[in-house]
Amino acid sequence: MPTVLLLDVSLSMSRPIATLEGHEETSRRHLAVAGINPFLDYLASNCKLEFVSLVIFSSLYEQVVPFTRDYNEIRTAVEKLDDYDKTCIETALGGVNMLILEEWGASAPCQVILVTDGALGFGEGSLKQVVQAYSNRSALAADHKFSLPFKFPCKLHVMLLGDSTTKQTLISASLLRDLISVNGQGGELFMPEGSLSVKTVQGMFSALAEKYYSPFVGVLKCGNLTCPVHIFPTLDAYDRVHEFEHVKKVASKEIRTCGFIDIADIASPPYLSRHLVLPISTSQSSCAKTDSNKDDSEEREDKSAAFTVLLHGSLKVEGMIALVQISEDWYGMMYSYADSKKKSNLMLSVFEPGPNVISWLGCLSHLGPVSDLATASNKPGEGKSPFPVCPAERRSYSQNCVVWIKTTGLHTDIQKILRNARKLPEKLPHFYKELNRLRRAALALGFYELLDAVAQLLDRECTLLAGNTHPDAALQMAHVASFLRSEVARDAEQNIVPLQTNFSTDWGDRSDR
Amino acid sequence: MSFPNSHKTVFLLDRSSAFHESSKQPVDFDMFMKAKAPGLIPLAPISKSLWTCNVEAVLEYVRIVYDVFPVSKLIQLIVSEGDAIALNSWNQQEQNLQHLTGMLARLRPPNNDHLVSNDCTIFNGINLAIEKLCEPSIIQHKVRTSLTESASSCENRGRIICLSSFESDEFIHKVESYVLNMLNQHNKLAMSTDVLMPVDHCELVLVDLVPLGNQSICSNQPKKQLSPYLTSEVHSSQSGRFIAIKLVELVMSHFNLSSTTVTGIPMKEEQNAMSSANYDVELLHSSDAHIDLIRAGHHEGLVAPSKEGLYTDTITLKWCTPKTTAVELQQCTGAFRITPVDVNSRPSSCLTNFLLSGRSVMLEQPRKTGNKIISHMLSSHGGEIYIHVLSTWRSMLEDPPSISEGAGGRLTDYRINDFGELMKENLLGPVTDASNLSMLPIKRAQAQIERMTRYWPLIISETIIFNMASIIDPLPSLIMKETLSEAEVVECKKVIYHVVGMETRNDPLPNPTSGARGKSSKRDEQYRQMWNELERFVRAYSNTSASHGKVLECVTECKRKNNDDSPTGQPAKVKEDKVFSSDTSGDRSSKPSTDKDRQDMRKSEVKKEPESPCAKRFKIGFGQNRSAASQSLLSMWTNRIKLEHKATCPEFAGRQDSPGNKAELYKHLKDTSNGEGGHGINEKTGGGRGGSHKSNISLA
Repeated sequence: MPTVLLLDVSLSMSRPIATLEGHEETSRRHLAVAGINPFLDYLASNCKLEFVSLVIFSSLYEQVVPFTRDYNEIRTAVEKLDDYDKTCIETALGGVNMLILEEWGASAPCQVILVTDGALGFGEGSLKQVVQAYSNRSALAADHKFSLPFKFPCKLHVMLLGDSTTKQTLISASLLRDLISVNGQGGELFMPEGSLSVKTVQGMFSALAEKYYSPFVGVLKCGNLTCPVHIFPTLDAYDRVHEFEHVKKVASKEIRTCGFIDIADIASPPYLSRHLVLPISTSQSSCAKTDSNKDDSEEREDKSAAFTVLLHGSLKVEGMIALVQISEDWYGMMYSYADSKKKSNLMLSVFEPGPNVISWLGCLSHLGPVSDLATASNKPGEGKSPFPVCPAERRSYSQNCVVWIKTTGLHTDIQKILRNARKLPEKLPHFYKELNRLRRAALALGFYELLDAVAQLLDRECTLLAGNTHPDAALQMAHVASFLRSEVARDAEQNIVPLQTNFSTDWGDRSDR
Repeated sequence: MSFPNSHKTVFLLDRSSAFHESSKQPVDFDMFMKAKAPGLIPLAPISKSLWTCNVEAVLEYVRIVYDVFPVSKLIQLIVSEGDAIALNSWNQQEQNLQHLTGMLARLRPPNNDHLVSNDCTIFNGINLAIEKLCEPSIIQHKVRTSLTESASSCENRGRIICLSSFESDEFIHKVESYVLNMLNQHNKLAMSTDVLMPVDHCELVLVDLVPLGNQSICSNQPKKQLSPYLTSEVHSSQSGRFIAIKLVELVMSHFNLSSTTVTGIPMKEEQNAMSSANYDVELLHSSDAHIDLIRAGHHEGLVAPSKEGLYTDTITLKWCTPKTTAVELQQCTGAFRITPVDVNSRPSSCLTNFLLSGRSVMLEQPRKTGNKIISHMLSSHGGEIYIHVLSTWRSMLEDPPSISEGAGGRLTDYRINDFGELMKENLLGPVTDASNLSMLPIKRAQAQIERMTRYWPLIISETIIFNMASIIDPLPSLIMKETLSEAEVVECKKVIYHVVGMETRNDPLPNPTSGARGKSSKRDEQYRQMWNELERFVRAYSNTSASHGKVLECVTECKRKNNDDSPTGQPAKVKEDKVFSSDTSGDRSSKPSTDKDRQDMRKSEVKKEPESPCAKRFKIGFGQNRSAASQSLLSMWTNRIKLEHKATCPEFAGRQDSPGNKAELYKHLKDTSNGEGGHGINEKTGGGRGGSHKSNISLA
């Protein structure tokens, strides 16, 4: 999940800090840099795929380093920053909102790390005023635009560089906590434990890193085949309010394979989030311990097989996905994903929790081995897929329903009847089918006027028939016209049936066959 | 839990005599004759009654809801006359268009000579509508009786849409206060019983109707709160097509729907099949399909007024003709059911039929500049059409490391195809009737995978037995079964004996590409590994059933024979080697050592073909005097005699080698080379001489 380092570069950040004697004098800005660097080190070793951008702000904001995985760019950039004027948090948050929306859209989960000294500022744009504006949001004019809550899923963390013993810091802290709760999407305020120093600031940054950036390590299981994996980005807990229930789910550390489905059958289901599944080498731990043997263990690493590689290869070759269970009633799918043509990797798409999230697969917990189906009633034919699962009802567009809101709909239906009428008796079954469809619709709508109108049309049609027309045509049309005018025509239980004539018996028989 | 008002909707249709009146919108049903027979006087246009227009519009509302939200959004139709009648219930079986049209067809349209006063008609209906809202739906019942935290907090919310003709604003007030009053009464009643639920919130939507061209006396009123549990709003509309559009507007706001217009659909002309023109089709779907676009503010330039004349905006997306029918896995963040605004028009049905035939259509954002952005896809699944939302932004997973760069990525001899076979055996399918199964199908699937992977080497060089598939088939597939029949046990044993036979013949084993190991192991070492592997494999399943145990027994027996051969058979063996052959290494046990030996064995095998493999093996051993593990008295005796005999004078090598003590002369002529002859010469033993004898002979 992309991260924005939102660094306060207002003048107050350059305030010196009272240090113990004999120590070099330092400013809050230096402390911030001293915290950011180890934080970036942590990312580089634990989640090197994380995109980080550096945005600085005072009364204005500027994206100094666009989203990158090369953290050195940020390291060099933070060293070269100037001091600017006063703090204006609202502007900065607005800027972040826009930057992220433009780059990542509205559905990518992000984290914003606001690094500030918590100087309150005065008047327009001061922290106090901003928080107040949020608290009586509803009272303000609707056109007042707020940056919070962010328009995308985003945690807001605040790194408050202040001495937790001073009153002013405590006021700032409570205001900033309010800001986090206005966003309401998670995040935390971190403060140095004790007085401001390089050590305490680094401590709070590492607390942030460990709590929100620790890699998700789990085990991929396929029966007895297992592989320790690192899942990036982390599988977040699910907590959403649905129409009839409040769903809370936590992903287990065990990803269990349930079975396999053809890509054509799974048919691009919607996912909640996507994750890379990277195998963790079994020898990696020993590699970390003994740096001297690094080459050695790397070689070993190459030699030991990883199940993920096999799974990826087979999924790619067979064009299938693996349905996996992440937790009770929470499923996902794994497949080979290629960003470019050359580089492909194993990807995990996590579905919404619940067993009925993809209608065309049916209930996910009711998916069983195909061999089980052989005994059941819905045995799939040779090479025929058991998917998709069809709903009991057909939708309006596939059941030839009648809609006459626009006259063209009515015209088409009448025209069909007349066209078949002219081709009687060949089209006898079609003629009556269309006629009954029209009549049923007219009855449902209480549109009795139409029955008379069709009777009139058919009467006239009789008079227009060409001389060589089969005599049965006229007989059937007259029969229908008189039926439509009768009281019986308004009885929904009745259908118009073809007139049994000397000519029509054989036609009728034929249509029965 | 949001418990939306849209879960339950009650439509209240006024069937009083007022609705017998014409909507005053003429329906010219005879237009197509004009062109054909110009001389004819066209038939006079007819017109729909107010009732017909109402039913038509309500059915359209219902159609859209059922198409887009087939479950969890319920609608009841109540017709109010002297008595009020509910045409369906909250039951899912009665929540479909066929049921409703069938029920409507049985009704008579309003009568003009009906003398019931209008006041009464609508009030009876309201009474029934509130009564119906108090009845819990199946979902509500489930939540209420579930043992979760949501059970107590389950709210009963609903909406009443009333289509009537209200005489004045005062009358509307009267209706509103009546609804409020009835709600209170029904809630009291519902509180006292378990079967009913009090209404926690009701949204009253009053639609006042007048014939086309008339001016409504009632004014539009926005939603207002009448009590904590009742809101009311008034819409006034002319009948005819306006009421239909009005109800589409309402359905869109009630169910939070948006409109997408697919533009540029190439379609053959009706009259002229040679030329094709481009058509547009407007679709309705959940607004969630646009949420990404709107939130990110990327919709400017895409929004246009509805082409179907709805009071709404639509987002236009361009049709992209699909190039292949190949199915690809799209990265899709949402899928929502759609329904065409004008379901029966030719362009709509062309589009839906195309999609229902199984093709998917990509939709592109029509932008004048910049890259082509494909943001949506239309596709059907099981007869339902969905709009899929594709992710168009930068992915945080961009430029992922290749799998070959990760752990285990360098190895190239993964058993990809074998695993592919395993995947095919573990394909999933929907189990429709799971009631008679002891465990959930998905658990059964997991159990099956567990069973199939108890022993499953990942790479080719780690396994011998799976590289000799043609030899050990069908043992692996049989042993993985939950139950084994007697016949299948015999099949398994046959395989094992076959392998024993191979070993006896010293047939080469399929060589695992041993590049990774760096050294190729000797054949007997290979057999030892193979037996270990086979035992491990079969042992993994031995607990499944007694029959599985039998197969394991068979394997261990055959394996033990081999292993036992070496220690116990050694002394006798060495001595034999001294005399008979020059090329057996010390630890070789029951294996025939030279090509010649092998030939002999084959011969003897051929002779004894009809016998069972076990007996065959025993007889070979007996005849060749090699069955060290289980020596009979006779063999011990003959051995002793031989030993004594050898002590005095060495037996003619040729004779001793041959069956029946008859020496076959010049038999080495057939051998092309002396093969393995070189490496096993046991120089220390006296047999060396015998060996050189033999080689002399063969050389001669």
